[in-house]
Amino acid sequence: MTSWSPLLALFLVIPLVGAVLTPVVSDSSGRRSWGWAVFIMSVTSAMSVSLIVRVLEEGPFSYVIGGWVAPYGIELRFDEFSASVAIVCLLGLLAIVFSRHYAPQALTPERIPYYYTLLLLNLTGMLGFIVTGDLFNLYVFTEILSLSAYALVAISGEKTAEMAAFKYLVMGAVSSLSILFGVGLLYALTGSLNMADVTSRLAGTAHAPLVMAFAALTLGFMVKAALFPLHIWLPDAHAIAPSPVSAVLSGLVVKIGILGMLRVYQMAYGSGAIDLSGLNLTLTWLGAISIVMGAFFAVFQDDIKMMLAYSTISNIGYIVMGLGLASSYSLIGASVHVFNHALIKATLFLGAGALIHQTGQRTLTGLAGIGRSMPFTTAAISIGAISIVGIPPTAGFLCKWYIALGALEAGEPIFAVALVFGALLIFIYYIRMVNAFYFRKPQDAGAPAVHEAPLTMLVPVLILAALCLIMGILGRLPLSFIEPAVTRLLTPLGGG
Amino acid sequence: METEATRSILPMLAFALPIVAAMLTVPARRLSERARDVLLIGTATAVAAAALVLAAGVAGGTVYEMYILQLTPKIWMYMRVDAAGALFGATVAVLWLLALVYSLGYMRGEHRLGRYYSFFILCLAWTMGLAYAGNLLTFLIFYELFSVLTYPLVVHEETPEAMAAGTKYIIYILVGGTLVLLAIVLTFFSAGTQTLASGGILSADTDPMTLQAIFWCFLIGFGVKAAIVPLHGWVPDAHPAAPAPFSAVLSGVMVAAGSFGIIRMIFQVFGVSLLKSLDLAPYLTGFAAFTVLFAAALAVNQENLKRRLAYSTISQMGYVTLAISLLGMQSTIGALVHITNHAFMKGGLFLCAGLFIRRLGAYNVHQLDGAARRMPVTAACFTIASLAMIGTPPLSGFTSKWYLGLGMLETGNPWLLAVLLGGALMAAIYLLPIVYRMYFREPALTPEDLTLTEGREAPMTMLAPLVVATIITIGLGIGASLPGLPVALARMAAQAFFQ
Amino acid sequence: MEVVDARVAIAPAISLLCAALVFAAADHTFWRRFFSLSAALAKLIIVMSMLPGALKGVVYTFDLVEFTPGVGLAFRADALGMFFAVVSSTLWLFTSIYAIGYMEREPNRRRFFGFFALCVSTTVGVAFAENLLTLFLFYETLTICTYPLVVHDETPEAMRAGRTYLAYTLTGGAFVLLGSIWTYQLAGTMTLSQPGILTMEAGRTTLTALFVCLIAGFGVKAAIMPLHGWLPTAMVAPTPVSALLHAVAVVKVGAFGVLRTIYNVFGVDLLQELGVCDWLAALAGITIIAASVIAIFQDNFKRRLAFSTISQLSYIVLGAALLSPLAATAAIVHIANQAFAKITMFFVAGSIQRTTGKTAIHEFAGIGYRMPYTMGAFTVAALSFIGIPLFAGFVTKWYLSLGALESDQWIYALVMLGSSLLNAAYWLPIIYTAFFKSPREDALVHEAHWTMLGPTLLCAAYVLLLGMTVSVPGMPFALAQAAVKFVFGM
Repeated sequence: MTSWSPLLALFLVIPLVGAVLTPVVSDSSGRRSWGWAVFIMSVTSAMSVSLIVRVLEEGPFSYVIGGWVAPYGIELRFDEFSASVAIVCLLGLLAIVFSRHYAPQALTPERIPYYYTLLLLNLTGMLGFIVTGDLFNLYVFTEILSLSAYALVAISGEKTAEMAAFKYLVMGAVSSLSILFGVGLLYALTGSLNMADVTSRLAGTAHAPLVMAFAALTLGFMVKAALFPLHIWLPDAHAIAPSPVSAVLSGLVVKIGILGMLRVYQMAYGSGAIDLSGLNLTLTWLGAISIVMGAFFAVFQDDIKMMLAYSTISNIGYIVMGLGLASSYSLIGASVHVFNHALIKATLFLGAGALIHQTGQRTLTGLAGIGRSMPFTTAAISIGAISIVGIPPTAGFLCKWYIALGALEAGEPIFAVALVFGALLIFIYYIRMVNAFYFRKPQDAGAPAVHEAPLTMLVPVLILAALCLIMGILGRLPLSFIEPAVTRLLTPLGGG
Repeated sequence: METEATRSILPMLAFALPIVAAMLTVPARRLSERARDVLLIGTATAVAAAALVLAAGVAGGTVYEMYILQLTPKIWMYMRVDAAGALFGATVAVLWLLALVYSLGYMRGEHRLGRYYSFFILCLAWTMGLAYAGNLLTFLIFYELFSVLTYPLVVHEETPEAMAAGTKYIIYILVGGTLVLLAIVLTFFSAGTQTLASGGILSADTDPMTLQAIFWCFLIGFGVKAAIVPLHGWVPDAHPAAPAPFSAVLSGVMVAAGSFGIIRMIFQVFGVSLLKSLDLAPYLTGFAAFTVLFAAALAVNQENLKRRLAYSTISQMGYVTLAISLLGMQSTIGALVHITNHAFMKGGLFLCAGLFIRRLGAYNVHQLDGAARRMPVTAACFTIASLAMIGTPPLSGFTSKWYLGLGMLETGNPWLLAVLLGGALMAAIYLLPIVYRMYFREPALTPEDLTLTEGREAPMTMLAPLVVATIITIGLGIGASLPGLPVALARMAAQAFFQ
Repeated sequence: MEVVDARVAIAPAISLLCAALVFAAADHTFWRRFFSLSAALAKLIIVMSMLPGALKGVVYTFDLVEFTPGVGLAFRADALGMFFAVVSSTLWLFTSIYAIGYMEREPNRRRFFGFFALCVSTTVGVAFAENLLTLFLFYETLTICTYPLVVHDETPEAMRAGRTYLAYTLTGGAFVLLGSIWTYQLAGTMTLSQPGILTMEAGRTTLTALFVCLIAGFGVKAAIMPLHGWLPTAMVAPTPVSALLHAVAVVKVGAFGVLRTIYNVFGVDLLQELGVCDWLAALAGITIIAASVIAIFQDNFKRRLAFSTISQLSYIVLGAALLSPLAATAAIVHIANQAFAKITMFFVAGSIQRTTGKTAIHEFAGIGYRMPYTMGAFTVAALSFIGIPLFAGFVTKWYLSLGALESDQWIYALVMLGSSLLNAAYWLPIIYTAFFKSPREDALVHEAHWTMLGPTLLCAAYVLLLGMTVSVPGMPFALAQAAVKFVFGM
């Protein structure tokens, strides 16, 4: 396998260029832009595979753009955490494939090329965010993906979509500012933007500004992650966006907040300059509250996508709780869930998208009895539902397992209880959904017959549903990346 | 006297044949009524023959045994025919045969005969098994099956009274059975074995509290069936409700099965010496004596004939319990013999009662005025059985009471003779007025009231069993001392118990 | 002796495959029946083929996949697991035949038979689970797979019952999960082994809390009072489902979990030291009596069956909680005894409902003459529950009483006896109504279809067989004894 380092740079450049070129290659029907986007994402995915193979063989490696050595140049760093690019590529590819029939129905034809541009941009932002080695680029990529996300939410051009996007924009802008503020403070304190470098220089700096910097970063990422009580932008944005976008937003974009927090943690732990126990406690409690509140709100939704959006808040709660507990098991659990939740939520959103596309209905009442006419899609959604509640052997179970184990390890059994029983709350509304699909009579019998979704929709949904199962059974696969990373993260603390 | 036992298939046949017959009853009826009758009578005859052969063999000094089925790794379903069992088994089989033949006439035209006959013959199986059971668990198996599966016979008439009686019956019997089970579990736990051996299986160094518990559980459990007085409630209701042939075996065998259980418990679970050291038997004596007198006193006032006979049964079975509780050799002989004698006496009386119901429509005593004129044979049989019940020599009732009296003197309880005589006296008071009415009162019904078939002697199918029962009653009295007859077997049994 | 053998994994996999084929068969009735029956048969054969080995003491193991590092999805067929597997795969065959007859004209048969097979798959998975995680996995999957069966009728009552069912069982599942995680944290392993994996080092309070956690989790499905609420409500399900739910799969999985917790997670010695089992035994004793008392007042036949199930399941729990070898024998054997007797009763209930449309006991007057064989089978099962000797139920009663005495807790011997009286009090009236009350309409003999009658009679016959041939080698009892010897290190 190649050891050609510039591949890492190319990995970002290709989707970026592809995004920009999409309107150019497009035709009037938007069919060509779809093909182009699929091609670009396929190439990117292939590259991500080769990068991951390399990190497995050689361990973390980095590429310095322009040949400038860190800390001065722009460093791209690929470590085990970065293996998450695989999931980004996969989801991105599937979302784009899914869009073939979905986009023409949801959007006016002239917007379709820009839709793919934004989607590719968004994915590029995410890939960049994951592999970047310095704080400023972290901010830059955050902005790329945030801005494209605002636009994607609004792309249908409907009034509600614009309102949702505006709400998202306001919250997002504040959080971006907060992140920028934190980055600036850190630069002022250490004179460096490279994360590894900052980490090594943090020890011995003034305490108060340091705390403030970390607080600003954490707050910013918390908004991005839609942690309660900063979640208010999420339900509308995720529910109103086109379904493939929802899948990407819910599955990936909110995770940026989480990954950001992980990065911050890496620095804080690495330097040992700051005591995080207060923050940890806060995060743990906020996580627990998020689980419950998300579930609570979701129970009362009739709109299927709204329900899924609130479910995201709950799941972010899991992850944040795992981070807050800060024991090796819980960190593993949280990290695993970053991946798995992405898969699961994408399954659900794409599945819901297929239902909406075929029936034009988006409420549970309207979708009653759909299981008979769209058996595969509903089966996939059901698997996703089971998975997100954390029934073994599905993917969602691993997170529950590890975070609960971590809670016990950290000597906080109360959170293990909260987690395990919080999952039950979540189950309540998924049961409503499954009931509606399978066990309720269709609302009006005279409605025209509904057929199963076209293959470009069905296949991604089924692949994702299968992955929900496979990643549960082969749970050790992501763990082989995550465990060394977490161990490294915790080494300075003497934990792990 | 632990003689080497001989393997024999007869004890198993004695209960297996009726089970097969019970299954075939309904199919046989499809063939023809005659086929069913032949099947039933043939089976009962075969069982009676087997029982008599076994009894003869046991009288000759052999003990038969048969391992049937391994129930659990430690416990077999095990049949063992000793003297007491052989005597009880022979009694059961013969009385059953009589009652069955009687049924063929008595039950003609009744509803649900398939159910009646199946269960009737099935109960024979359980009772035979009970008689020949070689260990406590086997005993329990047959005891429970017997108790529960008798229910359809008790409620056969399906009248509201019968149903109420049936409910009462099943509640009493199940509670009793449960206590028996508890006792057996405790015994198994304390002794580790259950084979009924002479001299007892419980050892003297068992915890006295446990021994007490076992004793009382057994006593109350079997006492329900043996109708010891505070536990007798089901008897007076069940007897009038059931069809007459079944009342006969209910009184003659079923109640006796309880007494038989008490015999097994006292002599073969505890053993005489252990029980004497525990000093529990006097309680039993007290209860039994009270039962004899109390039930007899109640019998006097019963207007319903079968009800009166039922109270008489309670009283008579009290004799058996009384005799057992004395723990004397002679009295034990008396107890065993009285079970047999009473079976035929009381069986005979109930068969008479059935005939009065069928032929005269007479359920109550006052309806029997002048019955002797229309049914001389039946009346004669009734009279003989009554006299035997009172204990008039040379009838069979006298024999058992003689041994009972001897036993009371032997064990130094002469005051109990008063109970013995009091019971006999009261038997006279409740039975002789009926005889008087039959022979010396004018019939209350005029001939015009009766249709042609009524008011005459019953057909032979019903009369013959009655006559045979009466002859046995006489024969057991006159020939009491002949070898091979109950007294001889009972003596063997008692010798084994007191060796 | 441990042998790696794929059969332990194939056994649950067969029903999984069957479910897939049934779903794939769409509306082809023939193929659906063919797959259901042949899978049931194949599974029975595979399980039975392991029986001779299991009786000789061979333990078959198979590690399927390492689920997460250190904790795998692994199967292990020891005597206890084999016992449960034998019972459930035998009953699956019977129930499948019955269900084919029963569901003849129902809608959604594909869904029904598919999930039915899945349930059995998971049940055998529970039986063969090598560690707590595998156990939990199948335990939870069973919950999910049963739901479509419970709400099969799609009526509002069915939906409500389904909700109740899920609320209870999922909460139970959460407790089990918590307990499993905790165990792993304390012991560093989850492998169910002899004699338990926990030690006193963990501290008395922690162990007690863990015990409560696990027992509460498994106790929901085992319907220990006060966790029994779902069971009577779930009666709205079609009868073969109730049979499966109440006799084989769901409730027994709970009871089996309790057994595993007691014998293989904690171990007898540790529990004796800990003393928590006294409480469990008390709870089980109360359940036995209270559920029976409630059962007496139920007029709906299936509801009465449900409360009887609650009572009977606690026999198993009680037997395990007494911590004596004899009581343990009773507990394990009762898994089979209760299963066969109860499934007979459910088959009877279903046959009556299908043939005459009657569900309330007071309507059964004279039904014994319309359906003599069916009610005959019912009588056999009832007598077994009452504990008449020679019937299966007696074996349990006998060993449990002895076990109570052995562990010096005579009060439970009394409970057993009281319970059999109560059993009499609620079964005998049914027999009475069926056979001794005059029918309201013409008493034409009108039995159920043979696909329903056949399994009913076979199960009833098996109840007798279980009671009489206890010591015949190859019968479940021998397995139970092997299990007990293993558990108590005898």
